[in-house]
Amino acid sequence: MSQRSALMGPALRMGGLVLALILLIVVGVATAGERFWSTGNLITVLSLAAVTGVVSIGMTFVITSGGIDLSVGAVVGLASVWASTLATQYAAEDYGWWVIPVTALAVGLVAGLINGLLVAYGKMPAFMATLAMLAAARGLAEIIAGRQTQIVDVEPFFDVFQARPLGVPTIVWIFVVVAAAGWFLLNRTTFGRRTVAVGGNPEASRLAGIKIKRHTLYLYGLAGLTAGIGAVILLARTTAGSSTHGTLLELDVIAAVVVGGTLLAGGRGTITGTVLGVLIFSTLTNVFVLNNLDSSVQAIAKGAIIVGAVLLQQWFASRERVSTT
Amino acid sequence: MTSSIVRTRRVSGAVVAAACAALVVAGCTSNEPRESEETATGPVTVTENDEPGDEVVIGFSAPAADHGWMGAITSAAKAEAEKYEDVDLQVAEGTNDVNVQISQIEGFIDQGVDAIVLLPFDGAALTDVALEAMEAGIPVINVDREFSSPFAARATVLGDNYGMGVSAGTYVCEQLGDNPDAVVAEIAGIDSLPLTQDRSKGFADALDDCGLDVDARVAAEFTVESGEEQTANLLSAEPKIDAIWNHDDDQGIGVLAAIENAGRDEFFLVGGAGSNNMMEEIQDPESVVKATVIYPSTQAADGVKFARLIAQNKNVSDLASIGVPRTVQLFAPVVTADNVEEYLPIGFDS
Amino acid sequence: MVDVDPSGVEQPLLRMRGIVKEFPGARALDGVDLEVRPGEVHCLLGQNGAGKSTLIKTLAGAHQPTAGEILIDEEPVVIANPVAALRLGIATIYQELDVVDGLTVAENIYLGHELATGGVSRRSEAARNTRKILDRLGHKEISPHREVGSLPAAGKQIVQLARALSRDARVVIMDEPSAVLDSEEVGNLHRIVRELTADGVAVVYISHRLEEIRQLGDRITVLKDGRTVAESLVVADTPTKELIQLMTGRTVEYAFPDRPGVAEDAEPVLEVEDLGLGTVFSDVSLTVRAGEIVGLAGLVGSGRSEILETIYGARRATSGTVRVGGKRLRPGVVDAAVAAGIGLCPEERKSQGLLLDEPVYRNITLSTFSRIARGGLLDEGAERAAAREQVEALDLRPAGVDRNARTLSGGNQQKALLARWLVHGCRVLLLDEPTRGVDVGARSEIYNLIRRLADDGAAVIVVSSEIPEVLGLADRVLVISDGKAVHEGPAREIDEHAVLDLVMEGSVA
Repeated sequence: MSQRSALMGPALRMGGLVLALILLIVVGVATAGERFWSTGNLITVLSLAAVTGVVSIGMTFVITSGGIDLSVGAVVGLASVWASTLATQYAAEDYGWWVIPVTALAVGLVAGLINGLLVAYGKMPAFMATLAMLAAARGLAEIIAGRQTQIVDVEPFFDVFQARPLGVPTIVWIFVVVAAAGWFLLNRTTFGRRTVAVGGNPEASRLAGIKIKRHTLYLYGLAGLTAGIGAVILLARTTAGSSTHGTLLELDVIAAVVVGGTLLAGGRGTITGTVLGVLIFSTLTNVFVLNNLDSSVQAIAKGAIIVGAVLLQQWFASRERVSTT
Repeated sequence: MTSSIVRTRRVSGAVVAAACAALVVAGCTSNEPRESEETATGPVTVTENDEPGDEVVIGFSAPAADHGWMGAITSAAKAEAEKYEDVDLQVAEGTNDVNVQISQIEGFIDQGVDAIVLLPFDGAALTDVALEAMEAGIPVINVDREFSSPFAARATVLGDNYGMGVSAGTYVCEQLGDNPDAVVAEIAGIDSLPLTQDRSKGFADALDDCGLDVDARVAAEFTVESGEEQTANLLSAEPKIDAIWNHDDDQGIGVLAAIENAGRDEFFLVGGAGSNNMMEEIQDPESVVKATVIYPSTQAADGVKFARLIAQNKNVSDLASIGVPRTVQLFAPVVTADNVEEYLPIGFDS
Repeated sequence: MVDVDPSGVEQPLLRMRGIVKEFPGARALDGVDLEVRPGEVHCLLGQNGAGKSTLIKTLAGAHQPTAGEILIDEEPVVIANPVAALRLGIATIYQELDVVDGLTVAENIYLGHELATGGVSRRSEAARNTRKILDRLGHKEISPHREVGSLPAAGKQIVQLARALSRDARVVIMDEPSAVLDSEEVGNLHRIVRELTADGVAVVYISHRLEEIRQLGDRITVLKDGRTVAESLVVADTPTKELIQLMTGRTVEYAFPDRPGVAEDAEPVLEVEDLGLGTVFSDVSLTVRAGEIVGLAGLVGSGRSEILETIYGARRATSGTVRVGGKRLRPGVVDAAVAAGIGLCPEERKSQGLLLDEPVYRNITLSTFSRIARGGLLDEGAERAAAREQVEALDLRPAGVDRNARTLSGGNQQKALLARWLVHGCRVLLLDEPTRGVDVGARSEIYNLIRRLADDGAAVIVVSSEIPEVLGLADRVLVISDGKAVHEGPAREIDEHAVLDLVMEGSVA
């Protein structure tokens, strides 16, 4: 009995998310018909989900391990700016378009590793360390950009990132690949197992011989790396780098991850849930715009979804506990 | 508050050093263009008012220069002040925190400056402290966002937000007037700001005059990212559009990117504010951008000029009346391919 | 049962009858009787795990008894929560002094029943009352406005006592109050206790120090295995020897496996030399040979668990060395210890050992999944197989390896932890309280398992509060008292009384 419910729990939770998404889709079709249910619009929904989606994958790992990264939005901004300075663009013209994405990824990775060092070895609470990074990265981005929008003018870069292989934009493919890789990493590798173990019981993991400090460092590095990928996607979509890129992105990302079913306290994470959470928010925005509704109403709906999802999570959790004792 | 700003800077300085070291391969952060460009300086008209007078100290406070137009506001004000050897412009660090801005004005009052030029982040929130300054005998020149009391400013320089909407709407009417079924879309800025509401109202009123209305409207946040996101959704929602007005040329970069991504060109786009980038688009016959409505980024510079005149008890030379006017509302002209050359010098970089 | 009170005229203030407290999988109290009279110091005596803490918590309203009744002034009462206990006049002073360091003395004393009018605190009145109470306790020198964090342990205890008095407590329960004090402070504490009893307050006093009980106590109740084995003995009439016998007398006999003895030439696997950890313990040296079980006996707080954790690297030693198979370990690095073949089953299984919401097999392979994996890819099939093998060998029930660890009973959780190190393969196994919370039947199984591990060549150290367990299981015993090894010798050559004597000797204030 209890064993069955332990297996049913995640399936039920996921079922709830799928149901919510289907409900939104039904509302979309009912109110906007073919304007909603068209290939073009569905691709728009996915394209808009790409940045939040990719960064949410990294965040899922951090939250599963019991941490939090508030700096991802600012790091997206910093990486987008760094990868679009004239110096970087000239280098991209001289050596190849790859200079831009590599720079963004490197900036994201280094920022993430600094977070990781502060949390794992500096023993700072993740909330404070990443809050500091949020402020510093945003400030640095403003200094580098001189508070100006940096327009990217490297055609080969757009040839790659604005292409549509098989009719689907490259950035959507990037989201799909990152999500698949994240799922594999979390569920099928020792890295993922360590992440869950550290989040579930850091002391037990340490006493079992897991190098939790080093693992924590990697986790924040991973989150920074996904922020770097997010910056590349934003560069491709907006054709510009800006210190305002990624403003408040961290909140959308955390909301998507938690609504997806990853425990904010750590110890349980689900990439599938995160992807569903991202798609729910992205579809919600789309349905509201299609119906020409006020963005303020949309914000209220978003809040209601977060509250509903978290209440549902707690309800499932308490049921699980009752059925197992 | 100032000390915390300084501290943030110091932290970022350390990060610059660390990150630069780590990213030597990736190239650093220079934004120097390869070929140096001659910076064009506009003609300076000299009137007798420009003759040096008594030394005046002017306090200047504006929101954070987090987008191109606001950056241009501050640099134009500084440039204007530099033209006068009798002006000492004290520029407070731009901030979007009304509490910080209030304390900056209090600082100016304590310091006993001769005049204050204030572009408030929120007009209503800064009214009290502006009144305080006026009562202390310091003339306040209110720029762009109006105070809630007429006594809080000696002079007010306003852009014409409603007029911007009217200009954009009138232009759209001229282009589409003969087609009452034409689909018109609007990409607004931050919806909670009065200026956005004024612009939208002017736009709707002008369209109404020629039998059109706004069929779809989204609100972005003056940032590239939000402009792209909102436009992508908008384009998805409306399979065929005839005209779009975008309130703000800074977010316009994102708007254009979304249009490009969607591969759409059946409509024309009207911008707002007047950035160099948009003016270059107007010059390109292939571009969907056909016009932009100027929202002068020189209004704080006008404010500085007025502050100097008021402090020195001078008059505006081309006016017959005595004294600097109470309110000046600037013109919101439409820039098209026909007159773009004329406006390029006052364009700003996003 | 001995009841020595011929007169019986005085009505008891507090009486507990047949108190039973059950926790899931364990019966902590199994029939406790206690009778406390006004103005007496009633000592509660018992070994670790005898049920004293549970009893205190029942009186303080933190636990609800499963059966039995509590009477105050011969009236049955229900103590639903800590506030109800205070209202009934029962105040508890816990060993871990629960004061709020950031608040002043007066604020602490009136914490939870602030003197206030419409939310505004009456500070001067609180200060005045506080001064009065402190005066009564003979500590005029403590200012009501002083921050409690700046007081020494003794001062904090005074604040707690004052808090009890501010509530007009009639029964004050003190859990090992002398453990944190030096001898002068202990004298002072005794004086205060006597003054309280002179005022008619009853004190329930818990201490391990027999000498202290002799000095202070009026009557003694002895607990053993959750039961009252002797009620209200008059201190003056009861010899120490009898008390020790009462505390240790067997009620349940465990079956211990045979000790085959360790070969003379067995190689030393674990060598610990002059190990120390700050002020917690020092100069601990021991050698464990392959196939040998060494037991550490001592009271809670004597440093036993810390010794294990320091050997393991979970705490960084401040002095001394640990060698495994002749190779020195880096201090303070757990993964180095694990790599060298040391495994630890920690004292707090739930907080230190298990991932409660993860399947059993992942708990069992927590230290080996990386090794089982191929190139970073998990091999859950192989993990399940390895776990299933151990689950069968250890008779872990229920046998499914996919259920969450939370659903297992204490004994089976312990087996899962042992299984973890069996899969890993250990040269040295450190077991901290391996049978805590494990029911009697499962204990023998765990003893057999530990012995089998040793027979297979592991060097084992067992820490336990239960002296018979250490003596029955181990080949050699180290007696730990106040962070020092006070005795080392073969387990056969020492009995429980001798160990208790060693543990209590010299620690009298």
